[in-house]
Amino acid sequence: MRKLLLIGTMGALLALLVSACGGSSGGGGSISVANEGEGKQTANAVCEEEPVAGGNLVYARQLEVVTLNPREIKNGNGDIFADEMLYSGLVRNDPNGTAEVVPALAEKWDVSKDGLTYTFTLKPGIKYSDGSPITAEDIAWNMEQFADPETNLSLPSLGEGIKKISAPNKSTVVIELEYPVAAFLYNIAVFPAFVVPKAKVEAEGAAFWKHPISSGPFVMKEFASGSHITFEKNPYYFEKGKPYVDSMRWNFVPNSNTRVLELKSGQANLADGIPFSQVESLQGESGLTVQEVKFPQSALLITNNKVKALGDVHVRRALSLAINREQLNEAVFRGTGTVPNSVIQNFELDASPQEIPPFEFNVEKAKEEMAKSKFANGFSVSLKYPAGFDYYKQMSLLLQAELKEIGVNVKLEEEEASTIAEEWLAGEFEMTFPFAGTSSDIPVPDEYASLFALPEAELDGFKSFWVNEEAEKLVQKFITNTDETTRKSEWKVIQELFNEEMPSLNIMDYPLINGHESTICGTKANGLGVDQLQETWIGKASS
Amino acid sequence: MLVYLVKRLIVSIVVLLGIALGTFLMIHLIPGDPAKIQLGVHATPEGIAKLHKEWGLDESWPQQFWIYLGNIVTFNFGESTAFNSNVAELVGNRVGPTAVVLIYGILISLVIGVPLAIWAALRQGGWIDNAIRVVTTFTFAMPPFWLALMLALLLGYKLGWFPVSGYETGISGILRTCTLPALTVGLGLLVIVVRNLRANLVTVLHSEYIEAARARGYSELRVVSKHAMRNSIIGVITILASLFGFFVGLLVLVESVFQIPGAGALLVQGVAKRDYKLVQTLVFLSGAFVVIVGFLADAAYAWLDPRIRLAGRQ
Repeated sequence: MRKLLLIGTMGALLALLVSACGGSSGGGGSISVANEGEGKQTANAVCEEEPVAGGNLVYARQLEVVTLNPREIKNGNGDIFADEMLYSGLVRNDPNGTAEVVPALAEKWDVSKDGLTYTFTLKPGIKYSDGSPITAEDIAWNMEQFADPETNLSLPSLGEGIKKISAPNKSTVVIELEYPVAAFLYNIAVFPAFVVPKAKVEAEGAAFWKHPISSGPFVMKEFASGSHITFEKNPYYFEKGKPYVDSMRWNFVPNSNTRVLELKSGQANLADGIPFSQVESLQGESGLTVQEVKFPQSALLITNNKVKALGDVHVRRALSLAINREQLNEAVFRGTGTVPNSVIQNFELDASPQEIPPFEFNVEKAKEEMAKSKFANGFSVSLKYPAGFDYYKQMSLLLQAELKEIGVNVKLEEEEASTIAEEWLAGEFEMTFPFAGTSSDIPVPDEYASLFALPEAELDGFKSFWVNEEAEKLVQKFITNTDETTRKSEWKVIQELFNEEMPSLNIMDYPLINGHESTICGTKANGLGVDQLQETWIGKASS
Repeated sequence: MLVYLVKRLIVSIVVLLGIALGTFLMIHLIPGDPAKIQLGVHATPEGIAKLHKEWGLDESWPQQFWIYLGNIVTFNFGESTAFNSNVAELVGNRVGPTAVVLIYGILISLVIGVPLAIWAALRQGGWIDNAIRVVTTFTFAMPPFWLALMLALLLGYKLGWFPVSGYETGISGILRTCTLPALTVGLGLLVIVVRNLRANLVTVLHSEYIEAARARGYSELRVVSKHAMRNSIIGVITILASLFGFFVGLLVLVESVFQIPGAGALLVQGVAKRDYKLVQTLVFLSGAFVVIVGFLADAAYAWLDPRIRLAGRQ
């Protein structure tokens, strides 16, 4: 009797869990795909109306905000997403998600024929959130801070190549380069180049970042460390009529199950980082929309080329051929991933899948490659993956099973995320997923191509210790070629070379999964997956 | 008495020094350079060196430890490397929510546990006694992480009685937002309260002075509440006080699930980012709390019981 009671109680609790986490309610949910270049409107009819101003948004976010200083970020996307709300730069990545750079504080710009001088003309009447003018001198000072690795600790490499910055008059900023930088506009569109009032920062020092003056769409109202941050619209924002919402509150909710519960209970209107395992069940929830935000992010498996077996190109090709990525996509990413056709993340500049086919799964070919290598009888190798990310564990287990088919015995080592990143940086690994998601800081391949191929990046082929002179020459030419018409064809050659050499393995390109109430409209992200909440508005639910 | 207290104080200081050294070594020995963690892919030797200098990590370990000891004495714990804040200010802001959840949780465990223990003790060996044991063992056996989610799911999402997560201040805010986390803590502690109190009560209820009370015609309720409980509950409070380490682990999980901006969650982030000063401060303060409570308890025992304070003279 006692046993029955216990079993009954446990059964009831499990049933409750399943009903809450599973697709319990009858339809109405939808999935929208936020591809680059698409408007990413939700399927809800209310979002087809004209945007409505007003209201408050509550957003459950997985990463908390730690600092509001964009040049010294401390918590990755936790800080970056808040910076994007608070500040603007001269230019910005297109809020509509394309890989274009569009004007922000600058109205327009001219580039000299040699690609060495950029002259920016500022929008008239631009102001900070306290009503004071944003001056050309201010912007020049901010760009100097961006170009100085002593002050730009966030992304110092993006400030390289800048020779001189000046503000010849009230509405003009001129930036001169030492050498042509093809990705220059992309480089200055990211957060370390955001603009803040020089006088206030110099007068207040570190205290400024506790209550910063904004140049972006929102103003910080309250910041409770470890709990939440609240924003109000900046009345002086340069885009008239935006942001649409009056205020926002971001709750810091690191636990993914709690984030989903906040969304489902209505405690939050939006939630990011929905676990892949819960995508289907959320799609079944009425009144909720699941959104795939696609941006250059991949599960990058670094193979240490110093390890004898992994230094053999035939082995690396065999490893890639032995992986059934389609199956892995279904099993781990619930079909939201994309089988890559490039060793580094997916970029709009990439050749199409028709031009360069996605990585093939072919065990026979894999065995042939192994036979061509010096390790025809197989070998043993360790694979490190970060703890706390169930999908990396699942992926690693599948890889272990698949690579066994070609005689490669993989020993799995789960390690804490900080330790694994440090060991990767020190080159102390055989195969590793150094990060739970490797993503680019700019929507063009220049940054990661350099990190892999250029010795001056001082990262030893992104710690794969792969060296290739041809790749070095091609990448060097590519990143200094400012002619957009030839860059695409140049990149195709590099992409093919990388795929041939396979310095490391791109297991899967995968998106960020967000969820929101279906009446939340205009949920846009730029080409780097960063939310553009100045575009978001609250639609009125039909009665 | 004074000699005893001085001896006990010296022992406490030595223990505190041991905690300080142990914490310092532990956080420094685990792999992971805080500067490299912060700079990530873009870590350059210059950037790393700049942060090391800024954070005092370019000093030798003995020098760093000496500075750390100086910080403890002056209560100036320095700047957090992972958070844009002063460590003392950061910890000060986070201790409150943790204390609220912990105290509220202990109260819940006592409010539920004491009547259950009395009931079980009075029905010793009967089906009620066994049922209470099974239920409390069940709540203890459930992983706190899972239990927390179940409570959020049932009482937060399904029934809508409480928010599924978050933290608010004020009495009504605390009752709204801290009940579910406290219930998780309380249910985790329930078995400790019930089992210990029941065992103590069973022993006490068979003692002669209880029989004498019964012989005087007192009701069972009065016998238990006025006579048996006083001697039985002390042991439970002593055990709860000694479980501080267990509470820290429990609170880390509970704070994570319910989005409580407490010290437990802060400690996890501090370790992940190798924020030496923050981790050292949090662990040292929690260790110091146990040592100070122990010292005060010993002083109270010595004051109450002459055999303890005179033991050294014999």
